Order: sequence, then structure tokens, then C-alpha cells
Amino acid sequence: MKNFVLPRGWRTLCLGSILAVSLAAPGVALAAGDVVFAVGQAFETLDPYNTNSTGTQSAGRAYYEGLYGFNQDLVLVPLLAESHEVSSDGLVYTFKLRQGVKFHDGTDFNADAVKVNFDRASNRDNRLARYNQFNRIAKTEVVDPTTVKVTLTEPFSPFINAIGHPSAMMISPAALQKFGKDIGFNPVGTGPFQFVEWKQTDYLKVKKFDGYWRKGYPKVDTLTFRPVPDANTRTAMVQTGEAHFAFPVPFERAQQLKDEGKVDVIDAPSISVRYVSMNVLQKPFDDVRVRHAINYAVNKEAFGKVVYAGHAQLMDGVVPKGVDFAHVSGPWPYNPAKARELLKEAGYPNGFEASLWSAYNDSTSAKSVQFLQQQLAQVGIKASLEILEPGQRVQRVSQAPDPKQAGVRMLYATWSASTGEADWALRPLLASEAWPPQLNNTAYYKNDVVDANIAKALRVTKREEKAEIYKIVQEQIWKDAPWVFLNTANNVYLRNKKLSGVYVMPDNGLSYADIEMK
Amino acid sequence: MPSYLLKRLLGMLPTLMIVVLVVFLFVHMMPGDPARLAAGPDANLETVELVRKQLGLDRPLPEQFLTYVLNLAQGNMGVSLRTKLPVTTEISTRFMPTMLLTLTSMAWSVVLGMLVGIMSAVFRNRWPDRAGMTAAVSGISFPNFALGMLLMQIFSVNLGWLPTVGADSWRHYILPSITLGTAVAAVMARFTRSSFIDVIHEDYVRTARAKGASEPSVVGHHALRNALIPVVTMMGLQFGFLLGGSIVVETVFNWPGLGRLLVDAVNMRDYPVIQGLVLLFSLEFILINLIVDVLYGLINPTIRYK
Repeated sequence: MKNFVLPRGWRTLCLGSILAVSLAAPGVALAAGDVVFAVGQAFETLDPYNTNSTGTQSAGRAYYEGLYGFNQDLVLVPLLAESHEVSSDGLVYTFKLRQGVKFHDGTDFNADAVKVNFDRASNRDNRLARYNQFNRIAKTEVVDPTTVKVTLTEPFSPFINAIGHPSAMMISPAALQKFGKDIGFNPVGTGPFQFVEWKQTDYLKVKKFDGYWRKGYPKVDTLTFRPVPDANTRTAMVQTGEAHFAFPVPFERAQQLKDEGKVDVIDAPSISVRYVSMNVLQKPFDDVRVRHAINYAVNKEAFGKVVYAGHAQLMDGVVPKGVDFAHVSGPWPYNPAKARELLKEAGYPNGFEASLWSAYNDSTSAKSVQFLQQQLAQVGIKASLEILEPGQRVQRVSQAPDPKQAGVRMLYATWSASTGEADWALRPLLASEAWPPQLNNTAYYKNDVVDANIAKALRVTKREEKAEIYKIVQEQIWKDAPWVFLNTANNVYLRNKKLSGVYVMPDNGLSYADIEMK
Repeated sequence: MPSYLLKRLLGMLPTLMIVVLVVFLFVHMMPGDPARLAAGPDANLETVELVRKQLGLDRPLPEQFLTYVLNLAQGNMGVSLRTKLPVTTEISTRFMPTMLLTLTSMAWSVVLGMLVGIMSAVFRNRWPDRAGMTAAVSGISFPNFALGMLLMQIFSVNLGWLPTVGADSWRHYILPSITLGTAVAAVMARFTRSSFIDVIHEDYVRTARAKGASEPSVVGHHALRNALIPVVTMMGLQFGFLLGGSIVVETVFNWPGLGRLLVDAVNMRDYPVIQGLVLLFSLEFILINLIVDVLYGLINPTIRYK
């Protein structure tokens, strides 16, 4: 072995390649004006009406705009509409549109365009994945080029929130005509950026739209969205400068990155609630004392520290802070002694055995249910864990045909009310009409006061009155505790120090209307 | 030989047909409803049914199978339920990155693995053997996602020499192929060593030495050729596995390969994509087996094809 020496030619070759590598790297230069986003989810389609992915909708904000939109704090702001009026019966919405707005293909944005888009979304035959968001639209009429009148089939007070949602975008009618079903590959809107290229496995690229109605915007030339599934890799990309923005990043690494100080680490509140639903049709969860006991048994403060490295807020109401009409009722105190007492009262002095499922199979969710299992064990409840992969979840939870036979007992799940309004934080999860297989009331909770008031709130357009109704609903649910109210996890994201005007919104979407690179 | 090849190639057809049937039944029997998954948590039952119709999943199963087979016969593998792109497009855009990464990983790991293996066998129980086998065991034991992250941290983040993600230039291949090839090199080293040690005690090796052949000729010619058969078999297997795409490496380096496509497809119950991929993987394994069989003949001329 001692005389094993590389031949001379080889030595030069090796040395040469090492040199070449070190000189040429890092090859991805920071092109002036190109901002790269490393995002978690891959894009499935670019048609906002036919997707449920927040990632797709976030990218959509580059090339599309709706009549209304949410700013970075989830507050509704007018975009393509200037104002609207609601008739006293809550059925007719009249929108005044912004003038002088053009689509990327040069055609005008006007009332006709609104009609084409709403007709498309509310037509059953188009079989779009977001149909139930628009199914209350009875008809859309053009009054004049800047005025459009939408009539609903029944009063629906969160309608403005529904059309401020990033799925309710205005697509160029000419492009819809031209591309037909392929509109999902060729987005044409009024947004600040226009579509350039989408390489499914690699990136989505958009460039500045010169004819954008908001003068002086956007302030960067191009954006590149790169779906990168691994959180550590996204982090590394911002560290090397290959990306300027990364979300989500691992909670455990946030502190270390902050200490290094090379990139901005931002810890922003979210509206994604983490809860455990308890099937109230089944023993022992039919007893409210048991449900209270479980709420007392879990140390939510520790839960946030263990699972989210402290990047979480306690849940202090059924509807989280940041969602319109949220009411503060908690947080639920941690008191294991009281939990044991309540269990004893309910007839379970030695606890009981029950299954706890996690609706997701990522590592954070797995950690969550393990922590809960350990907490429940402290009061004598033996939880058997099962971590469901998406297909199993659909099969065993969402599609369970008969409520009485449903296998779900305790289910760890999360929810983010995509319209930013209390209705979508309550109705799909806690109204009796939302029992699976209809929607996601996995607690099979049914309370007449709650049902009646959730329905009533849809018909009420006055804010104060609505707030009062939602307060009653939320206090009733808190008292009945069909859920273990855990917490809302923060959104932790990384931003290059030169980049500003980019935010992760509380609904996990991205907001970058004022994006700028110094 | 040509007639042998033709026979083998024709023999593939029934195998593939069975694969088509089994995979079709298997994916449709997996728990989970693709329509519900595609419609997402915000959709109510009515919307889920609309999506089911849009995806063509409301038709009876035999009808769906018949359509699938008829389309397949014309080279049409259907359309992805998730992205609405043709399955052939989905697979072909990811096939080359996977193929190239497999080739680069295999190239260095087979050469290095065999060198280490031969070295260890020749210097059996002396320090080159110990060092080689220690490295090999470490290579097998070290999880490759950890290795990938470690390499990325050192060479991309700390030193800034190599890019983190993408598959655009040769520099993008360095870290993923090291990560992917390490385990293969380790397996190859151990396999070569044990196979070589068996051979080196055979009579014909002693004969070769006795007739005065030089040690390099004994090792490189007489022993190596005979030791190669199991090594080539292993190589074929490893090649087939790598062609399936490595989920771990593809995730860490954001490699646009087939492994992640399969994981995404299974998660969303994207039936046509799962079927297409399993079919492709079966085909690849059959072809690799055929190539390995042909290689046997080249390595050992006493093997005859009928």
C-alpha cells in the first residue's frame, strides 16, 4: 500500500477539478431584481378555482388579483373593486370596479370579466374543486362597465370574505376562451407580475408587468418560486443566498439562526389551530366531565415548548385571534388534580383506554400526539396512537358513512379558516350539518344553540349583531368542550436581510405586494 | 444469442401484463379516496362528487380498467389526477434526472467499491482490509439523509463551493451522487471482498501462481473474472433500486426525480401515476436482469445461451 501513489496525470486532474469547483461556485449568482422564494409545497395547477393548496394560491397573488384581497394581517382590502353595497335583505351585492385596469394580455378588466369569472365558478358543470365557495351565487349581472351586481340564492354575510379569498381571482376572459381547460398552465390576470414559465419539477417564474395599475409597483423584476420539500434544505438555501425567502423552516433551528444573525428570522402569528376532537357520540366522551378532564390534563404551555420550540400561542377561544369575530374564552388552565377529580365523578377513577389518531403523518404531528399520550397517561388515560397517512385519514375519518359506526375517537387535527372569518372557523368543524362525510365535524358535536346561531349569523350583515351571535356560539362550544383546545403554532420564516415587503400571512399564505430588494 | 434476446424480450410481455392487472387492482383497493383528497378539506360532499366526476372515478371499475388497458396499448398512460398532466410527461421529465444521477452514483461507487473490495481481499486481515471494511460498514450504517444534510452544510453553507439544490450543471451532481453512492460503494466493497476471498483459494488460482504468472495478473485476470459473477448480480440489483429514485436524496437535494413523484402520487392516491411508475420500475428490473444475464456470458465464456 505504501507505494500506492496516483500517477502524475491523475494528480493534476484531481487538483484541477478541486480548483474548478472552488472557483466556479456558488454558481447561482444573485441576479439583480430576481427574488427566489423557497416554499414547502409543490404547485399542482395554477388555476386558483381548482386547487386547495395554499402554496398555489400564494403564488397566484403574483399574477392574479381578486375584487378584494387580504393584506399581511389578514384584513380585507379592496383590490379590483373600489367599494361595494349590500342590499338590506343581504341578497344583492353591488360592486363598483376600479377603472383603467388591464389584464396581462392587454384586454380590459371590467364588469364583463367579473361576470365571466363568477359564472364559471358558480356553474356546477365546470366541476371545480372550490365549487362550494361560490355555490350561493344565483346570478351576476353587468350594470355598466364599472358596476356589477351579484345576487345570492340565500343571504350569506361572509360573502366579501369568500371573494377576498385567494381562490376568487379575476382571470382574463380572453385567456379563458383561448386556453379553456389549460388555463391552469397559462395564468393571465391583472396582478403585478405576469407569468413566464412553469417547470413543474423545478420552479415557477414570473416577471414584472409594466401595465400594472398601481403605479411604481412592483419594485422587483422577477420572482422565482421554488418548491423545496425539505425544511432544512430551504434553510440552507437562504443561508447560501440561493433563495431570499424560505417558509416554513424548522422550529428547532429558529433560535440558532437568529443568533447567527445572517438572515432575518421572523416569528409571526398564525390562525392554524391545533386541537383534538373527541367523538361525543361515543363513551366516555359523551360525558362533558370527561372532556373537561382531558382539557385540564394537558399542559398546553409545555405542549408549545416541546413540539414547537416555544413558537406557539395558547388557544384562548374556539376561533383563534386574527380571525374576524374571534371571542376570548380561555385559555383552559392546566390542572391535573382537577382532571382526576372530574374523571372520578364521571365514573372513571382509574381512567380508561381510548385511541388517539393524528390526522397527519409529518414529524411535528407525530411529536404532538406522543406528547398528548404522555400527558393523558398522567391522569390514567391510556391512549393508543395511530398516525394516519392521507389516504387512511380520508377513508377512516372524512368518508365514514355512518356517524354511529365511525371509528374516530380522539383525533389530532389542525384547521385554518381560509376566509379569515368566524363562519369558516366554526361551520365546517362544529355545526351538525358538517358531520363526516359532509365536512370536518369529527367530534360529531351537535348543539341546537350553536347550529341555530351559526345559521343566523349568515343572514345578519350588521357587525355588532354578528359579533354578539358569534360570542354566544363560541362560549357554548367552549363550555361543551368537544375539543381539547391546544394552541396556534406560529409561522416561522427566513428572509434575506436585503429583502423587505414579504410576509407570511396568518393563514400561511404569502403576501408580497410591496416586495423590494435593497 | 440474438434469438435468445428475442425470446427473453417476448417473454417480458406476459409478465408486464400481469403487472398491469395486479397494480390496477392494488391501487384501486388502497384505502383512501382520490376525489376527497383532490378536493381538499374545504370541500363539502357535493363538491367531492363533482371532483369525482371530473376525474372519471365515478365509472364502474371494469370499465375504468378496460379504458386504461386500451389507452395503454396506444402508449397513453392516462392523465395525472393531481396535476392534470399526461402521466408520460410527468414520468419523462423526471426520468432523465434520475437516470443521470443513478449513472453518476453507480460509476464512482462501483469502481471505488470494487477497488476497496479487492484491496481488502488481497490484504486480508491486514490494515488495508480493516480500514476498507471499517469504511464500508460506516458507509452502510450512516443514514443517507444525514449524510446529505451534513455534506450540504459543509460544502454549500459553510464553504460555499457547491450549490444546494437543482440539477442544472455537473456541479449539482456532486453532492447527491456522493450521498446516493456511498451505500452502494459499501455494499459493493463487501461483496467484492467476500467473493474474491472465495475465489482466491480455488485451485486454478494456485495453478496460475504455480505457472509463474505475476501477482497483478493473478489478481486482475484469473481471480477477478471469476469473482465478478456475484458482484455483477449485486450491481444490477443496486442499479435497479437507484433507478426507482431515492426519496431521501431527492427530498434533501430537491432532485426532480421519480422517487418523490411516487411518494406524492401515493399520498394523493394519484392512480394513473402510481400505475405508470410501477410499470416502469418492473420494466427496468426485467431489462436489467436481461443485461446481467448477458454480462455473465461475457465474463464467463463457459455460459451458453439457449
